[in-house]
Amino acid sequence: MREKLSVIFIVLVITVLSACGKEATPDSNISGKNQVTENVKFATDAAYAPMEFMDKGKITGFDIDFVAAVMDEAGIDHEVINTGWDAMLTSVQQGTEYKAGISSVSITEDRKQTYDYSLPYFESTNMILFNKGAAISNAMDLKDKKVAVQGATTADSLMTKIMGKDNNNLKRLDSNALALMELEGGGVDAVVADVAIVQEYMKNNPNKPFDTVLDPENFASEYYGILLPKGSELKAQIDSAITKIIENGKYTEIYKKWFGEEPDMSRLQEEINKSSQ
Amino acid sequence: MDFRFDIISEYLPLMLKGMLITIGLSIVSILLGAILGFVVSLGKISAKAYLHWPSSLYINFFRGTPFYVQILIIHFGLVPLILGGSNAIVAGILAMTLNSAAYTAEIYRAGIQSLEKGQTEAAFSLGMTKFQTMRHIVIPQAIRRMIPAFGNEFIVLVKDSSLLAIIAIPEIMYYSQMMSGQYYAVWEPYLTAALIYFVLTYLLSKFLNYVERKLVY
Repeated sequence: MREKLSVIFIVLVITVLSACGKEATPDSNISGKNQVTENVKFATDAAYAPMEFMDKGKITGFDIDFVAAVMDEAGIDHEVINTGWDAMLTSVQQGTEYKAGISSVSITEDRKQTYDYSLPYFESTNMILFNKGAAISNAMDLKDKKVAVQGATTADSLMTKIMGKDNNNLKRLDSNALALMELEGGGVDAVVADVAIVQEYMKNNPNKPFDTVLDPENFASEYYGILLPKGSELKAQIDSAITKIIENGKYTEIYKKWFGEEPDMSRLQEEINKSSQ
Repeated sequence: MDFRFDIISEYLPLMLKGMLITIGLSIVSILLGAILGFVVSLGKISAKAYLHWPSSLYINFFRGTPFYVQILIIHFGLVPLILGGSNAIVAGILAMTLNSAAYTAEIYRAGIQSLEKGQTEAAFSLGMTKFQTMRHIVIPQAIRRMIPAFGNEFIVLVKDSSLLAIIAIPEIMYYSQMMSGQYYAVWEPYLTAALIYFVLTYLLSKFLNYVERKLVY
């Protein structure tokens, strides 16, 4: 039996390794500088209003407008396709069909082991949404409560750090929509999610008996980046285009369109400087 | 890219804990489903319209809608309605039980109806009641014919339980998604999950083969 299993495992590993062998072969014939000019396909998980979502069959949102401006600036045709989260992660890692992903992906050290990122382009943090009247003023108050998050998000890893990896009171649901439904259904006491998501929810559901609180101490600012395969030849072009659209005010214009206010550029700029060193 | 065994070993204890939940939920649900399915199949076989139609509707509903949708409806709709609040474990067991009952009901029905009519007629002419005929003639023979199909259903149920991760039940898939989320790795968590499911279902099918042989000969 043990022998059989080890054979199976070896077969699986070989399958994996051969799948990884099909990495993108960089185009070397374009002026020798690895300039990408062909149509670049972006993968996204369009279920994250207002960042990226489906509006009557069309993908829209802040990220979508942002990436359009970036690729316009870089002079590269692009297309954004709704692949869903997991498919986005695998296909961007392979980098053959999809050369990049944009889906409010926070830049973290753990994830940098698997991917490259563009310059940070958006500052976000997590927000706590809870039943009105509950004694919750910061993230530590959630320690012995039931909390729902979208699995595999930074909200998940922050709460995992506070509550523990195998704490069953931390419920990692498939999407923020399900996490919010879990709160409405009374299955949890609070939801932790990106501030943009929570505010959008509150805006659409003003009559629900919920309160929100920010906790800058435990939930530090995080920054979204465009997801790229390791060693991506696109990174240089995308990074310089991001810098340009921030300088020429195009970024602020898109930000105002989606959030109705001016972005606070100082901290984002600081973060950009830090990561371009 | 390299295959990272270090993150697998980090998550293995959790994955094995998830495996126990998968096994537990599957066993409870297949047993409850077998009981409920038997009742439903008797309803479906019945000539009385008020028994036949609800059973038939039940079977068609659960076989005709995706399990994914059933889980969401039961978790966010049915369970809060009954308990006044959502409870993932209750919803998970309920969803698996109701779903498997619909399939096992059809297994019972097929098993019972696969017997030649002559046998029940002979039993009646010996003066046996309907219940006695079922108890002594039909069921013992039908059960043997049902075992392989029943085993299949159990294996399908074990695999389908992976969908319970969407309502945050900490089973195998739940922890592999967690692992994927932390490192944004895909091969390591999902191949490990596949291997665990494969071992589970492989051992299960071996066990069922054994039971089948024991019962038939």
